[in-house]
Amino acid sequence: MGYVNSDQEDDAPLAVKILIAGGFGVGKTTMVGAVSEVAPLRTEEYLTHASVGVDDLEDLSGKSTTTVALDFGRISIGSGLVLYLFGTPGQERFWFMWNDLVNGALGAVVVVDTRRLEVSFASIDFFEGRGIPFVVGVNCFHGVRDRTPEEIRAALDLDPQVPLLLFDARERRQGRDVLLALIDQLMAARPHSTPHPVP
Amino acid sequence: MKHWTDGFAEDDADEPLVRPYTITGGRTTSERGDLTLITVMSAVPEAAVEQGPGRRKLQPEHRTILTLCARPQAVAEIASALDLPVSVAKILIGDLIDSGQLWARQPAYAWAGTGPDMAILKAVRDGLREL
Repeated sequence: MGYVNSDQEDDAPLAVKILIAGGFGVGKTTMVGAVSEVAPLRTEEYLTHASVGVDDLEDLSGKSTTTVALDFGRISIGSGLVLYLFGTPGQERFWFMWNDLVNGALGAVVVVDTRRLEVSFASIDFFEGRGIPFVVGVNCFHGVRDRTPEEIRAALDLDPQVPLLLFDARERRQGRDVLLALIDQLMAARPHSTPHPVP
Repeated sequence: MKHWTDGFAEDDADEPLVRPYTITGGRTTSERGDLTLITVMSAVPEAAVEQGPGRRKLQPEHRTILTLCARPQAVAEIASALDLPVSVAKILIGDLIDSGQLWARQPAYAWAGTGPDMAILKAVRDGLREL
């Protein structure tokens, strides 16, 4: 980028992001808040989308605007790197079109609630369809582990290589472990990575 | 700002869009396509900013951004602090880049398809392990 100054560049951290997705009320913001070094911040965006089923010829633009809001947090990695965690907005059909949110993510965590697995189906479909690496975090915050990981995996129709972890979204270390599972998955999937011995 | 649980999109579509775009002088899109949610902005020290007739008259929001960016901040953080939509914040940030008052650092992995660097993944992994 032409306006990046190399002297100044050293002062600003390099940023990466991970998306925290899943349906309404599964614990996305809870997870962001538990692992973030700051209380979750909220931001919003206007998304313009083509109206569906509009046959009014006077509506030349054929577009309408929707506001979506999301919560996000940050984790400073040393002084030179910052990991941002973006909890995706609840209205999936809109954020799926928010390219700036999706583009450039290292990957995603899809949070699921065993009592309402279906609310996270759309997120799983989306990341599978876009080829974005993801892991599934089963939020057991209500203390009920009434299904085995195998049963959940089958119900979600997950590919075998997608990691699935049970965790409590309120617990910093457990949320951290879900993020680490994603990073391990990304490192393992690097096509030119050199194999290294397992310690 | 409304939380997304407060209502669904059909209700939001009629929200007035006037006020935020007044701040931008009516501009609704940034001319810069290269600002992302996690592009990190930092304020250029005042002494290093070239003074000239081309400098834009600053809105209060511009000044707030410069104050915030004394510590480097991502675009999303700036928008959140200003309580403005990201697209509006990007227009204001773009003004300050154009006037030489802000520097931008693009994210490590800005565009889909380039893939994250192994060194960055390792750094993230090591950092998370220390949490």
